[in-house]
Amino acid sequence: MILIGEDLNVMSKQISQAIKERNPEAIRECVVGQTQNSMDYLDLNVGPVTKEPMETMEWLVKTVQEFTDLPLCLDSTNPVAMEAGLKVCNKKALINSASGTSESREKMLPLAPKYSAGLVLSVINDTGLPSDADERAASILESLEFANEQGLPNEDIWIDPVLLPVGVDQRQVTAYLEFIQMIPDLAPGAKSLCGLSNLSYGAPKELKGLLNRTFLVMMGRYGQTSAIVSGFDEELVRINKGEMPDIVKLIHRAMDEDDMDISSLPQKELEYVKTTQVLMGRSLYSHSWLEV
Amino acid sequence: MKYEAPLEKHSVKIREAVLGQGERAIRIGGENTFPFHFFEGSLPNSQGLALEIIDTQPENWAPWVLEPFQDVITNPADWAKKCVEVFGAEILCLRLLSTDPMGKDASPKEAAETTKKVADAIDVPLIVWGTGAEEKDSQVLTEVAQVCSGKNFLLGPVLKGNYKEIAKAALEHGHAIVAQASMDVNLTKELNIALCKFFPPEKIVLDTTSSALGYGLEYTFSIIESIKQIGLVDKDNMMLMPILADFGGDCWRTKEAKEAREQGILWEAITGITFLLAGANILILRHPDTLKLIKEMISE
Repeated sequence: MILIGEDLNVMSKQISQAIKERNPEAIRECVVGQTQNSMDYLDLNVGPVTKEPMETMEWLVKTVQEFTDLPLCLDSTNPVAMEAGLKVCNKKALINSASGTSESREKMLPLAPKYSAGLVLSVINDTGLPSDADERAASILESLEFANEQGLPNEDIWIDPVLLPVGVDQRQVTAYLEFIQMIPDLAPGAKSLCGLSNLSYGAPKELKGLLNRTFLVMMGRYGQTSAIVSGFDEELVRINKGEMPDIVKLIHRAMDEDDMDISSLPQKELEYVKTTQVLMGRSLYSHSWLEV
Repeated sequence: MKYEAPLEKHSVKIREAVLGQGERAIRIGGENTFPFHFFEGSLPNSQGLALEIIDTQPENWAPWVLEPFQDVITNPADWAKKCVEVFGAEILCLRLLSTDPMGKDASPKEAAETTKKVADAIDVPLIVWGTGAEEKDSQVLTEVAQVCSGKNFLLGPVLKGNYKEIAKAALEHGHAIVAQASMDVNLTKELNIALCKFFPPEKIVLDTTSSALGYGLEYTFSIIESIKQIGLVDKDNMMLMPILADFGGDCWRTKEAKEAREQGILWEAITGITFLLAGANILILRHPDTLKLIKEMISE
């Protein structure tokens, strides 16, 4: 799976401070660390950048490119900042993100063909987030048609089905899994992308990684091509590189409800199985799901 | 060909909880099917209908809610007695409103004394309810548990922030508890898991918090229904406790209930019967006529 490191994010106090002061040091640490942990892209989440959007984005993109050769995923809701960033990207960038809303179609989406960039296209539209797999399909088909008409081929489109926190609505997690299996038919050639950490939003800090890694394997099995992830999770990278085949196999078996004697499993394996059960929607989520 | 409607059988059942003691002890829960599905499974116990009494002079009650209790309203023990002897209540809920730290802030000792007087005046099971102020409830309900040791009260609400103290006292002194998590199945399970590490699950009743007809009833309905489904269908051991719905106060606060007596009683009764349909095992009611009406409806 293509992994995009999410840690360069204005939600982090350190990063937001560094951007404000135009101080490259904290940026360097974040960029180099994620690059060394084998990320394929780096996400630059600058939020809406209400102050000096063009200067800020331009400075950030140039600064990041001094420390890494990785391609960038520009993450902003502000099309002005987005365009300024795209102008100075050395490699083919990814726009994160556009959606089916009228405003996004008008202002964000056209930037992709204009700068030959990739485009993250979410299933959100003017009526909000579709509630199940079929509605997601209907929404994305409309957006795809529009994008294709604008000269953007499926190959440049990364579909974001929008992954919600398991603690908010478990059924949305299973709806997500159902939907990604439909993507190859709906949009041949397109990629799929999600913000994986959103899954564990609100979960106990020490257990977020477990939820995220388990789901990475689950959606990988159903054809997911890429994810925005915690750029410093080394176990997640090892799983993605195929270095933990036993865990992957175990998660697949748990997904299939294979008969297994869970009482004989070592702690770590048991945790992956219990987490799979929760993410398959078979056992109600609570923050103490490992304790039952 | 003759059509036979498919039946859904479940291999687990809702835990049976015992409230009170002696001849008038009451059992709730124990069903292995959904509410009123007599054709599909067994529902060994009927739902518990409680009337509430308050340890302090009620404020802002409509005249038709005060009227039945007018002669006993200054004395909780007499009020309790009348509810049992005249209105036929089989369970009572004593609200210790006087302990509200934002109000009269009565001491745990005073509250426990009142509770004891009420308990001594009646022989039916008693639910003892705090104000929801976590720290104060913890002091009040642990004191009540101790002073009325062995009475098998139902103590609540037990919340995330005070479950350890109250459940420990309940366990030590032989009481059951009401675990409350507001309108959230995940948090309900969370609290149950934490409690069941040291507290027997058969002594836990769940409260999702309830809203009146027209004021969010459908949310309560969905949550109660979900808990029952997750318990019976998914066999989730942490979601197989009986459920309590406490909504009398919310109903009688509505504009509609304050407008007219009949309307108020119907408001409370419709809210109550709806929660029974969702799966509630105990209702806490305010008006004796509502009690009568619901009793008639479910006994038919």
